[in-house]
Order: sequence, then C-alpha cells, then structure tokens
Amino acid sequence: MAAVETSNKKSSTLDVNVLLKTLVDELNQVSKKLDSLVELNGKMLKMQEEFLQSITNKSSRRKAIEFEPDAMTLLSLPRSLRKTVMALYKVKEATAEDLSRETKRLRAVESASANQLVRMGLLKKKREGRKVYFYID
Amino acid sequence: MRGKVIAIHSSRGGTGKTVIATNLAATYANKGLNIALLDLDFRAPSLITVFSKGIRGPVKHWLNDFMNGRCTIDQALVDVSEEYGLKGRLLIGLANPTIDAIQNVMGKSRAWEVTAVKKLFSLRSTLFNNMNIDCCIFDTSPGIQYSSINAVISSDVSIIVTTLDSLDIKGVQRMLAEFYDAFEKRTVVLMNKVFPQTRIWSNGRQKEFINQMEKALKHPIIAVIPCYCDVLQAERASLLAIEKSGHPFLRTLQEVAKKLEH
Repeated sequence: MAAVETSNKKSSTLDVNVLLKTLVDELNQVSKKLDSLVELNGKMLKMQEEFLQSITNKSSRRKAIEFEPDAMTLLSLPRSLRKTVMALYKVKEATAEDLSRETKRLRAVESASANQLVRMGLLKKKREGRKVYFYID
Repeated sequence: MRGKVIAIHSSRGGTGKTVIATNLAATYANKGLNIALLDLDFRAPSLITVFSKGIRGPVKHWLNDFMNGRCTIDQALVDVSEEYGLKGRLLIGLANPTIDAIQNVMGKSRAWEVTAVKKLFSLRSTLFNNMNIDCCIFDTSPGIQYSSINAVISSDVSIIVTTLDSLDIKGVQRMLAEFYDAFEKRTVVLMNKVFPQTRIWSNGRQKEFINQMEKALKHPIIAVIPCYCDVLQAERASLLAIEKSGHPFLRTLQEVAKKLEH
C-alpha cells in the first residue's frame, strides 16, 4: 500500500515537472513570436515613415518645379495661357469677363484658359455669389 | 508719357545700361517730369555709386526691403531732385550692395519670384496714382535671370542696350526670339558705344545700317550712339545730363526720350 502511494507521488511530481517544462517552452515560443512581431512592427513603421517622407519630397519638388506661375514657368506655357496669367498679374483677381477686357479676347476663351490654369495648379479660383474669381495664390 | 514703365535691359554686362538709365531719368526730370528710377540689379547694384553725391545720410530702406515686404515703396525711394537741381522730381530706389543682401536675393525661391512680379505690377498704382510719378524706369540686370525677367514683364516698353560686339548682337537676337517675343512687349534696341571709325557714320550709311540691323533683329532701333571717350572716362558718380548738358550723347538721349513718350 505504502509502495503504491510512493509511486503515485513520484508520478504526479513528474507530471508537474513535464507540465512546467512544456509551459516554459510554450512561453519562450510566445516570447520569441512577440519579439519578431515587435521587430516587424518597427520595420513597418520605418517603411511607412520613409514612404511618407518620399511623398512629401515629391510633392514639394513638384510644387517648386511645376506649380509656381513665376516668370520662367510663364516662358514654358503656351501663348494663350501665358496671356491669361500676365493679365492676372496686373489685376490681382478677376472674373473671366474681367480677364477678357484685359486681354481683348472672348470671355469663353478666358474662362477655358483660366480653368485650365487652375487644373494645372498655377491659379486658384473662388466663388463669390454667382461670380467666380481667378487669382494667383 | 503719364504712367509709363520703361525697363532698360541688355544681354550682357558693360553695354552702358546704367549710364543710359540714369541719364534718361535725369533727362525726363530736367524736362519737369516726376521720375522714379529703380535699381533692379540686386546682384550687382550700381545706382548707389552713381548717386553717391546726391544721397544725404545713410539709406534707411533699400529696394530689397520693399521686395521683401518690410517697407512701402515710398519709404524705399530717395528724392535726389534738389541735390541735382532738377526741374521735376527724381526718386531713386537703391538695391542693397552688401554681400548679405546679394546672397539673400540669390537664395530666393520661385514662390518669392511670383510675389516679386506682383509687387512690381502693384507699384504702378502707388507711383502713378498716389505719388504723382509720370514715368518709372527699371535699371535691370543683364541676361535672362529672375530680376531682369520680372522687370521686363512688368514694364510697358523695354530698351535693350547693345554694343556692336557680335556676342552682344547674338545674345540680343536670342533674347528677342526666345523671351521678348513670348511676352509680346513693346521692345526697342539702342546701339551704344559704336566706334566712331566704323563706316556707318559716313554720309547716308547710318540709315542703311539701321535698316540692316532692324532686319536682323526684327525690332526697331531707337538710336545709335557713338562711343564717346569722355563718357566712358567720366566718373561713375556723375550725371552727364547735369554736368555736360550739351553733350551729343545727351542730345541723342533726348531724342530717345521724346520717341518713348509716344
């Protein structure tokens, strides 16, 4: 009877030891996985940062090269668009009607030209009531 | 003449641009007109030297300050009419000649250049409506760079000063074709420092020469001025229009001034 009890005690101690060992192994694996997740997350954050940086650089470079209606940019524009920008330099802000008075071209021509320049990012436009004003920002 | 902006430009340096600009301004002021003369050559300012005798005390505001939005145009102009005994008013806008100021201009962004053009266009209403100025003259920097382009596109008429040097003539041809024609500005060419020995000065040859040059440049020649040794040797800090009023150089400039009035 005593021998059976001793054997049972030994067996339960073994079970606990095995269980604990398994538990430690599992925890180690979880820890490793967590470490790799943290590392991966760090890499992703870095990549995201670099991507955002490259986007910012690109947009600022594009802005510097393409989106300023300065004298050099005017030289590279088609004559019809250049005329509209030149008129806007004089009058600061104007409707297509105002521009047509300045350039002596049709209102529709000025409207098309000014809207094209807005799409190119060289001009801005704002609405005041029923009128649309174009201006150089 | 009222409300006219004239830009004096050249393809290269040393053609006599500043001498033409200052004496043209003094010629008009001597006729009783009110003139604003602005030094837009921010990289190599020269009016500060030409008018050194007429400027009393330190310059409070430079044209650079006006362009940078630190002062108004009337604050940046110095009245030298009294010092030179002129009938009309001659107000000069000086570019800051210090290295710091020149470096500052060289580092400007394209966005700043847009503001600069707007400022030059906005000058008109202040000068002509508020300050009773009849004519504004821009002395620009040579060649194609922002300060000169901005001056030319915001002016009514441009005078390109050139010598007979083939480098000058070729440069003017290129500038006219690639830049001036694009902006459709009224442009005239003034041939300066033409050697007196050149056969164009013989009877009847001058007209023929002008025709040939106009054909080559496809723009009118407003005057042909011989190379006068005394003009070249004159002290930089002197105004010929005041000191040598009967000089043939000035008689030609008076004719130029008259032609530009129309």
